[in-house]
Amino acid sequence: MTAVAGTDTARRVEVRSAGRFLFGAAVVVLCVWVLVPIYLLFVNTLSSPQEVSGFPKTGIPSFDFGSISFFLNFAGVLDALLNSIIVAVLTMILSIGIGAPAGYALSRFDFPGKEAFRLLVVMTRAFPLPLLALPLAVLFIRTGLDDTQIGLAIVHTVLALPFAVLITFSLFSGIPVELEEAAWTLGCNRWQAFRKVVLPLVLPGIVASAVFAFIISWNEVFAAAVLTIHNRTLTAFLVQNLNVSPLHLKFAGGAALVIPALIFIFAVRRYLFAMWGIANR
Amino acid sequence: MPRHISILAGAAVALSLTAPAAGAQVLFWSNQAAPIEETQRMREQVLSGFDGEVDFQPQEPGPFITRLEAEFQADKGTIGLVGALHGELATYTDQWVDLSDVDLGGVEVIPAFLELGKLGTEEQKYLPWMQANYVMAANKQALEYLPEGADLDALTYDQLVAWAKALAEQTGSPKFGFPAGPQGLKHRFFQGFLLPSYSNSMVTKFASAEAEQGWNMFKELWQYTNPASTTYSFMQEPLLSGDVWVAFDHIARLAEAFNQRPDDFVAFPAPAGPEGRGFMPVLAGLAVPKTAPDVDEAKRVVQYMMQPETQVATLLATNFFPTVETTLPEDLPASAQALGPAIQKMTAADDALPALLPVGLGDLGGQFNQVYTDTFERIVLAGQPVRDVLDQQAQTLRGILEQANAPCWLPDEPSDGPCPVE
Repeated sequence: MTAVAGTDTARRVEVRSAGRFLFGAAVVVLCVWVLVPIYLLFVNTLSSPQEVSGFPKTGIPSFDFGSISFFLNFAGVLDALLNSIIVAVLTMILSIGIGAPAGYALSRFDFPGKEAFRLLVVMTRAFPLPLLALPLAVLFIRTGLDDTQIGLAIVHTVLALPFAVLITFSLFSGIPVELEEAAWTLGCNRWQAFRKVVLPLVLPGIVASAVFAFIISWNEVFAAAVLTIHNRTLTAFLVQNLNVSPLHLKFAGGAALVIPALIFIFAVRRYLFAMWGIANR
Repeated sequence: MPRHISILAGAAVALSLTAPAAGAQVLFWSNQAAPIEETQRMREQVLSGFDGEVDFQPQEPGPFITRLEAEFQADKGTIGLVGALHGELATYTDQWVDLSDVDLGGVEVIPAFLELGKLGTEEQKYLPWMQANYVMAANKQALEYLPEGADLDALTYDQLVAWAKALAEQTGSPKFGFPAGPQGLKHRFFQGFLLPSYSNSMVTKFASAEAEQGWNMFKELWQYTNPASTTYSFMQEPLLSGDVWVAFDHIARLAEAFNQRPDDFVAFPAPAGPEGRGFMPVLAGLAVPKTAPDVDEAKRVVQYMMQPETQVATLLATNFFPTVETTLPEDLPASAQALGPAIQKMTAADDALPALLPVGLGDLGGQFNQVYTDTFERIVLAGQPVRDVLDQQAQTLRGILEQANAPCWLPDEPSDGPCPVE
């Protein structure tokens, strides 16, 4: 009897350790998946041109700063970086400022055309930008929005808005309406209940969807290339040139694009994790 | 965090409102010299000598055209000067101001190029800015495998195939390379070299028996071509790494090989086919749009760009050769010393057969190129029957030319109405 129980426990331990192994392996694979390309990017950025195009590779950077210093001295890189940040932050503010109220309305109120609205808001992503860019540019030139950061931020907001609306919609839906009702019975008006009860609960999620808007704006090339000239964003600025540049400079440019985004995500990682926490509940 | 956000937001709004307005500089909108190192040299070594301010902005083809069209439609613009290829400038003939009053001093511009710059009108729509071409380059190690009796400067396609075969068989791996990657200029080879050399035509005899013969030759050549060619965009890199010993490409995309290891490589003319030595000169021009904010200042930049010293500086910056009569300095970089004579031999050869870049296709240019790329992929990569592919692609080609209503250009015979595809 005890022997049977013993093998049973042993098997259970076996299964558990196999599961743990599988879990560990999955973690390693995912980490490698993300980290290896980034590692290669940095190794090649910090290698001399000969090492980048030569074989065999050592896999260890030689800390040759030629490619990097070429970049920093390339006229306009720093301005473009600043523009990228400004446009991305404006996009963040606009898309949350417009998207969050829409998400709140979708989750709390019933109104005619609600389903149609949810579908239509995604439709803004159905038209490819190269198709819209020409009429948009003509309009922008005529109205004076052309070549301004706010003009570009408006276009990027249109791209980011569907995600902002849908993410905040699911965030607000995750907060029981009873919490708000309880606040009303305790003397809060609608706005106070929102500010004091709902907002603290959804804030991490809102910040995460703002990060998403930031990334969308950061990565967008075509509109940025057509709608701005002097106020180029970094992405538009670099992608224009990098496409047809030698390999070692492509790596350096890639690193220049990736590093600020990595720093930004690292700075707000707490809020990203918090959003996933909410989503899991 | 909310406080941080509001600080960040405040800063962003403030900065966006105080962004400096553009000064009185001329915006030089170009789709040439786009590789980042060329851009850098254009700014630092060519345009820095101008006694005004020029903002040189090279562009990808898509945004380049979209932005220009937007300014034409809005009838208001910020672009002061446009640098583009002949065919692209020919698309917007009505939008350029007459440059015949630009005082070039005693500079002698190559007359044939000046004539092209009129775009069939009475006015000087653009001034020829710089020219380039495509040539072959080889690692000197490859020369000992040249077939017997072959003259490097007067090679034929059959000799090239024999050479590539000898290289593949005797070195153990295929050593011919071809820029068939996504950014490679493969379509220019078919349009300007392969088809003219075999059929004396780029468009009209696209599906002829002669063209079929040319494709069959290329199919054979492909057996001895490094299979990584479908990833190559610039042949200078595989040449330098030794993966490829013999290659075809645009001179600007070969230059780095000659500059880094001048003693290891030779440049020579493209091969000849039964009809002659087809090649495609590339002519870039400078035009001033009617929507330019300051036409006179833009004309001053054009005048500066046409000076012999500027033209030599442009050669050093971009590997594009001058369009004016000038003596080249002796201390030219190795690439110009090697590539210049190869171009010279090719364009002056007895059997020379120049083919122009497509003219008058406008935004259908991309689709036109795609026909040649598709034909290559179907015949050579997918191994489909040559005749069937040519017949089907000829239909598409005909449709594009009729839609663009584009008459024939060299080497095809002039036509009334759209260029026919037989």
